[in-house]
Amino acid sequence: MGLPCGTHNYTYDQDMAILRTKTHWALLIALLVLLFTFPLYGGGYWLSVANLIGITVIAAIGLNILLGYCGQLSIGHAGFIAVGAFTSAILTNVLGLPFLVGLIAAGLMAGFIGLIFGIPSLKVKGFYLAIATIAAQFIIIWVINHLEITGGFVGIAVPYASIGGLVFDSEASMFYLIMVIVVMCTFFAKNLARTRVGRAFVAIRDNDLAAKVMGINLFYYKLLAFFIGCFFAGIAGSLMAHWIGFMNAEQFSLMESILYIGMIIIGGLGTALGPILGVIFIRLMQQGMIFVAPTIEAAFPALPAGFATGIAPMLFGLIIILFLILEPRGIAHRWMLFKAAYRLWPFSY
Amino acid sequence: MKGKRFLMVVGVLFLALTVAALPFVGACAAKPAAGPTLKYGMSICVTGVAAEKGTPMAHGKLDCVKYINEELGGVNGYPIEAIWYDNAYDAARAAVIVKKIMDEGALFFTTNSSKMMSCSMEIANRDGFPGIASFSSPVCTNPPKHIYAQMPDYGDDWAAFANYYMENIWEGPGKPKMALHLLNNPTGYGARDAALCLADELGIELLPEEEHAADTISEMESMTRIKALEPDVLFISSTPAPTAVVIKNAYELGMYPGIVIGCAHASYTKALVDIAGADIVEGVYGVYGTVEWGDDVPGMAKMMAYCERYHPQDAENMDYMFSWAEALIGAEILRLALENCGYEAIAWGDAAAWECVEKNGIQKLDYDVLGLQSPVKYTPGDNRLAKSVRVFQIIDGTITAISDWIVAPRVPFEQYPDLFPWAVP
Repeated sequence: MGLPCGTHNYTYDQDMAILRTKTHWALLIALLVLLFTFPLYGGGYWLSVANLIGITVIAAIGLNILLGYCGQLSIGHAGFIAVGAFTSAILTNVLGLPFLVGLIAAGLMAGFIGLIFGIPSLKVKGFYLAIATIAAQFIIIWVINHLEITGGFVGIAVPYASIGGLVFDSEASMFYLIMVIVVMCTFFAKNLARTRVGRAFVAIRDNDLAAKVMGINLFYYKLLAFFIGCFFAGIAGSLMAHWIGFMNAEQFSLMESILYIGMIIIGGLGTALGPILGVIFIRLMQQGMIFVAPTIEAAFPALPAGFATGIAPMLFGLIIILFLILEPRGIAHRWMLFKAAYRLWPFSY
Repeated sequence: MKGKRFLMVVGVLFLALTVAALPFVGACAAKPAAGPTLKYGMSICVTGVAAEKGTPMAHGKLDCVKYINEELGGVNGYPIEAIWYDNAYDAARAAVIVKKIMDEGALFFTTNSSKMMSCSMEIANRDGFPGIASFSSPVCTNPPKHIYAQMPDYGDDWAAFANYYMENIWEGPGKPKMALHLLNNPTGYGARDAALCLADELGIELLPEEEHAADTISEMESMTRIKALEPDVLFISSTPAPTAVVIKNAYELGMYPGIVIGCAHASYTKALVDIAGADIVEGVYGVYGTVEWGDDVPGMAKMMAYCERYHPQDAENMDYMFSWAEALIGAEILRLALENCGYEAIAWGDAAAWECVEKNGIQKLDYDVLGLQSPVKYTPGDNRLAKSVRVFQIIDGTITAISDWIVAPRVPFEQYPDLFPWAVP
């Protein structure tokens, strides 16, 4: 990480610190204050958008560990989120267990299912692994639809999340719950990348044969990446279930899985900041799209029918294509360039 | 290099501005009428995989709102303000849109699909925000909370058709054997659930069900299995395209003509005839909750005139008519709420207003919908507003009504808690 001019590391602790300067600390505190005071000025709609973003960030961080750090392509992420959602729904609704048990079990169950579908990763990679994980998406949804305990095709109601006597029965209270978990997940992911495990993941991503020659146990680390990535997906699924209040398998489509990959690519693969920026970008753009057709129809009533409704998906696609052409390394990379330029400004060199 | 750099700067600026501006485009989305209005929330899928149904439905209800405001002067003098957003048939967006609609002070909201309602309903139920699902599955209204169904659900379709079949079509001895071909979602399995509850009582032997996906291109395998069981009647609960595939395969296997085929309402629109071909679907039965396009009922002429003027491509589309009827019901709900509570009580669109609209509007409904669909009336414990459908048959390529309104009895799902735990209050 680049440091401001004149800032040098003299100790190992300083070298390892994520927050190295007072400015870093000030910015982090400001960000957290801004984040956790958001319910005071954000209305119900913006809180629900923030909650959706938070839940998506948790799942995207998981996928980023799997794909961005370890290089294992998974197109079944929505399926793993569904595992978490239904695990939590069943445990809290059918069995009446506490929310925290449901939350942790959701992560563990999704991680376990991820392990099963991660086994082919030892033998196949790239597009072949993508096909294997697409199978996960379809198998998981099929199983959910055909189990009685999940409510089958109809679905299952999910109670409010609660911890002890504290019931998260409003958008604002859910916001705090979700954001605390987002912060914890982000912290975990950021640190994971700097550990022995994280370096093993990166080595596997960059060249798995070389990693094996260096003594990295490919099977163990690939499966570990699947477990961690899917654990995060399960946690996100549990929060999603308690937030929406009703789950059925239709809510976890293949398109959603593909969108998750889009989010982390747009945000910046293999960076801690990437999933957050990518999720904010895509989710806000989706929110923008819900207004596009009504706005155009209201502003230009003489337009041919279907024109206004066709604009939104075209605009969505166009923005993503433009982004991939102009900044294929993601928003996180652009942010790093901006920081570097800002530190040197007004001098070019 | 300079050109590329310039392009990159312009592109990044464009992207940044677009992303930053999009959420605020909403500020110009709604064009509120001057003065006090009655806000009517709509979560509609005009894009996404269900757009072929959502788009004519959006046209129908928005045209009807236009008609009510322009020609009737609104509801008791207050114009209706339609607050609508495109959910793109996406669960995450639908869940957020219902919050947006609540925030904007809508008095109730509607969705045009059971999937979108299932993603929104608990958020609305938790806050006591009333909603109406145009097309609904049993889970939307069982157990009854704050969500209502404009017409009988997919389970009721099965019950109505099965009743009609036993009384008017079946002539053989013993129990007829009924096969079910179901879309792999609540649209399909809502019908299966009703069949599990009522088949014995009606004297129908159910064969093992088969399911299909919305994008199926061949059901030869499943239809061959069904053929081997020698059914007397096949019931399909799906959407038009896969229904057409199933019927075409039945035709190719020599099963049809020969057996009776009945369809639930989501399968049964003009699109079915167009996709499958009139010759192949000739004689197929179906149930639907509206009258025929062009029927001599009080509301037809105005609806057809607006359709012709604003969306002529939707002519003869029963979804357009169905959605127009939804807006008429919405206006009637608002009229009742205004009369019973007064404008001041509902002006803020808050929890008190929602309660007033639900108790003094929705639950006081007793309205013939100008003859366009089956009459709507609230019955305690039954959140289906309309309780009857008509049986249609495709005759000479045209969907033709062959019955008057027949009651689609409410299926008592709650009496089978082992099978349907979701229906238990």
